[in-house]
Amino acid sequence: MSDYTLIGKRMPRVDSRAKVTGKARYTADLKLPGMLVGKIKRSPYPHARIVNIDTSRAEALPGVKAIVTGEDTEGVKWGVFAYTRDQQFIQTEKVRYIGDEVAGVAAVDEETAIRALDLIKVEYEELPAVFDPLEAMASDTELIHEDFPNNVNIHVHIDTGEVDENFAKAHYVREDTFVAPEESYFHAEPYAVAARFDHDDCLEIWCPNGGPHMKSKPLSNAFKIPLHKVKVRKITIGGAFGGRSEICPADYICALLAKRTGSPVKIVFTREENTICTRQGHAMIATHKTGVDKDGRVIARETTCYMDGGAYSSTGPIATSVPFLSMEQAYRMGSVRYNGYRVYTNKPIRGMIRVHGRAFACGVDTQLDMIAEHLGIDPVEMRLRNSRQPGDYTSTKSLVTSCAMDETILKAADKSGFKEKWGKLPPFHGIGIGTNSVQTGFPMGIRGGSQSFIKFNEDGEATVMSGVVDNGQGNENMLVQIAAEELGLLPEDIHLVNADTEITSSDPGSYSQVSTFIGGQAVKVAAENCRKKLFEVASKILKAAPEELAAKNRLIFVKNDPEKSIPIKKVVRTSLLNFNSVNAEGGYWPKVDMKREWVKNPYGQLCEAFSFGTTIVEVKVDPETGQVEVLETTAAQDVGYALNPLVLEGQFEGSIAMGGQGGMLTEYHEWEGGRCLNPTMLGYKVPLCCDMPPVNSIIVESVDPKGPYGAKEAGMSIAMSAAQGYSAAVSNAIGVHLDSFPLTPDKILAAIREKAARE
Amino acid sequence: MEKMEITLNINDKSREVTVHPNETLLDVLREKLDMIGAKESCGEGVCGSCTVQMDGKPVRSCLTLAVEARGAKIKTVEGLADGEELSDLQQSFIDHGAVQCGFCTPGMLMSADALLNENHNPDEKAIRKALAGNICRCTGYAKIVQAVAHAAEPGDHCSDCKS
Ligand code: FES
Ligand code: FES
Repeated sequence: MSDYTLIGKRMPRVDSRAKVTGKARYTADLKLPGMLVGKIKRSPYPHARIVNIDTSRAEALPGVKAIVTGEDTEGVKWGVFAYTRDQQFIQTEKVRYIGDEVAGVAAVDEETAIRALDLIKVEYEELPAVFDPLEAMASDTELIHEDFPNNVNIHVHIDTGEVDENFAKAHYVREDTFVAPEESYFHAEPYAVAARFDHDDCLEIWCPNGGPHMKSKPLSNAFKIPLHKVKVRKITIGGAFGGRSEICPADYICALLAKRTGSPVKIVFTREENTICTRQGHAMIATHKTGVDKDGRVIARETTCYMDGGAYSSTGPIATSVPFLSMEQAYRMGSVRYNGYRVYTNKPIRGMIRVHGRAFACGVDTQLDMIAEHLGIDPVEMRLRNSRQPGDYTSTKSLVTSCAMDETILKAADKSGFKEKWGKLPPFHGIGIGTNSVQTGFPMGIRGGSQSFIKFNEDGEATVMSGVVDNGQGNENMLVQIAAEELGLLPEDIHLVNADTEITSSDPGSYSQVSTFIGGQAVKVAAENCRKKLFEVASKILKAAPEELAAKNRLIFVKNDPEKSIPIKKVVRTSLLNFNSVNAEGGYWPKVDMKREWVKNPYGQLCEAFSFGTTIVEVKVDPETGQVEVLETTAAQDVGYALNPLVLEGQFEGSIAMGGQGGMLTEYHEWEGGRCLNPTMLGYKVPLCCDMPPVNSIIVESVDPKGPYGAKEAGMSIAMSAAQGYSAAVSNAIGVHLDSFPLTPDKILAAIREKAARE
Repeated sequence: MEKMEITLNINDKSREVTVHPNETLLDVLREKLDMIGAKESCGEGVCGSCTVQMDGKPVRSCLTLAVEARGAKIKTVEGLADGEELSDLQQSFIDHGAVQCGFCTPGMLMSADALLNENHNPDEKAIRKALAGNICRCTGYAKIVQAVAHAAEPGDHCSDCKS
């Protein structure tokens, strides 16, 4: 493995230079000639019928170039799945949350656009609204969506059989309920979109995205134009974390305004709009019932989970499944029954977020700790007794090939001194462990694979085309690193053209953690194919068989006689002079079970690889204030193979910040009547530089048989296990297993007081 | 509102602009001077992504009126490099993997640069304090702190430090 030139090395990212010089352009930085400012009129009510919209006064305002309402659309509804198409991009009949889109304005400047919004008169008839999933299920007032009885948007039901029998056999059974409110992404970059129609009536559009091809298809549907007429352009993106996977109504509204006016239009969200009108994490109530044998091995589990989905479906079926899947991958559990309900409420739309279900994941681990305590087993041993092993099938029938879960547990425990510290720390000082597993990909149907094209230029440099998008995690560098390694070039010789739907082939996008595994693999295959062509030409010149050749540092040489070499540039030129261009394609399609479906058939091979992560956290709690001081975190993940440890560490550190420090201590939304009370950074506390504890990163490699160089998902199972580790550590410090997240000082103080009162 | 002609000294160049008295320095930089390095993330003085320097001190340009910046030496991220030559701090950010999505990076660099101009050898605590007003959602800050420390005191004790 060690004879790679670039793979496995701490390679600084190729996109960093543009970012440190301030030259990198994000969507809000775009300026096109004649560009207008777009703004969106939004609903002030959580649930209301639209009686009338009068745009006449706004239209008469000088400087207003166009106003669009639902009447101007083709009436197409959006949904990730055919059975979840429930969202119009501009509402015509009802609004379902405070922030729902009712009209769009394009004007010469921002001031005029904002004034025009005020001049649009919308008459509403208010409807009863619900803000709590359990109330929404029981409510007999008007449904949020007519076709969904009891406001149940999605019900995922999984039953592997023999659940009740195994509970009957269990040595110890307990049932506990865990809750958590919504959390938000707080991407550094507020959402923005710029659009124009070109001379061929093609839509050109720039916006943050988790996969450009996931934007082009719904836009082509919404405008009823062929796919090739939608050109989603590549642009620098300021973070995604799962929140930019889908089409955003603003994309459509911006494009519609551009079409109407014949001018480019740009919409830049306020921070509040970014929080309310993109996506949020689901609020959740998760009840876990777990039965173990006398050694603490889980033989049966039943989980019922109610998720507050907000006003529309979004990625509902996936979001209802993934919290369960992550935990079924992490732990063996005999037999299992899962009922996940995603329920409509009159709140903002919920989507996928880095930590899939705080209440779910932290609930599973907290309960394991409770059971371990009852049986007198320490938490590390408890996890080792239940951890996923290579060669296992998950409860829903996915084969797990590479798996170093135990190694992550043991290495993290060793590095953090867990065994020495457990049970021996002074009062209000605690240590805790969380373990998790994340899937490298989901079944994505016809968009499940990626394809790459590579062409050599006459100067010996190569252009690589790939649909993979970079949201900030380093995907572009990953593609360059792989291409340069395989072609024997230097990173600066690789010119990447990516995430542009006009040029690049379909790709599953960066969510589902699959960019390296599928998109990286596609580039690797294309580069290998291209190299083969180079070697055929070089073999004649060097008088050696192609199999005897290798490429490195812009040279092709004979492996056993490196003195015999020829510059790649010369090989390319020789080929061109012989009427052959040097280019190639390559693709990768994971072998998943295409019959697996989130709701109808949630069984079968989900993806080809799973990552496994363990986070151990040590904390001190101030019993007077309830403040948590995090002393140290240790994160170990089985990443398959570390393509670039520098980037991986950055993912681990960022994951601890978002999943643990923010996700478990400070981040949550507060509400009043469907209105979010803390939509901006003033009220929603994300971790600051001075808050962060030291992070020990441990990279564990299991070399996945399918991943490129053995690599698979990296980072997300740290974000999730960090949440679990933080909650376990605080619980350990105060001697109470907390069941309501995040662990804010008020809850901690209340738990300390109740405990004191009991004793 | 009456427009005003003002002169701003930005990265040692004098720039004439016509502004409204209520226009922020951030808007003037981004919209009128096409200097898009400074970013708007919160627009209310919390995140630090709009940080520029005025007379060596980091300021939030989203809360600073352009007219208030008259007479000050303004430095933006575009002024850190010397032509193609990056500053040590910029290079250190690259080498230490301190940049992910990059949206916070210009503001982060301006706060860090101001710190290093004032304190040539800050300890970790001083670095974390100086950057406490710059929110980064991607990195968890560890590599940013490391990058600043190494820009202050280059050494070979770190495998990512090329100096
Ligand atoms: S944009 Fe100025 S502080 Fe956030
Ligand atoms: S690198 Fe993305 S916010 Fe800092």
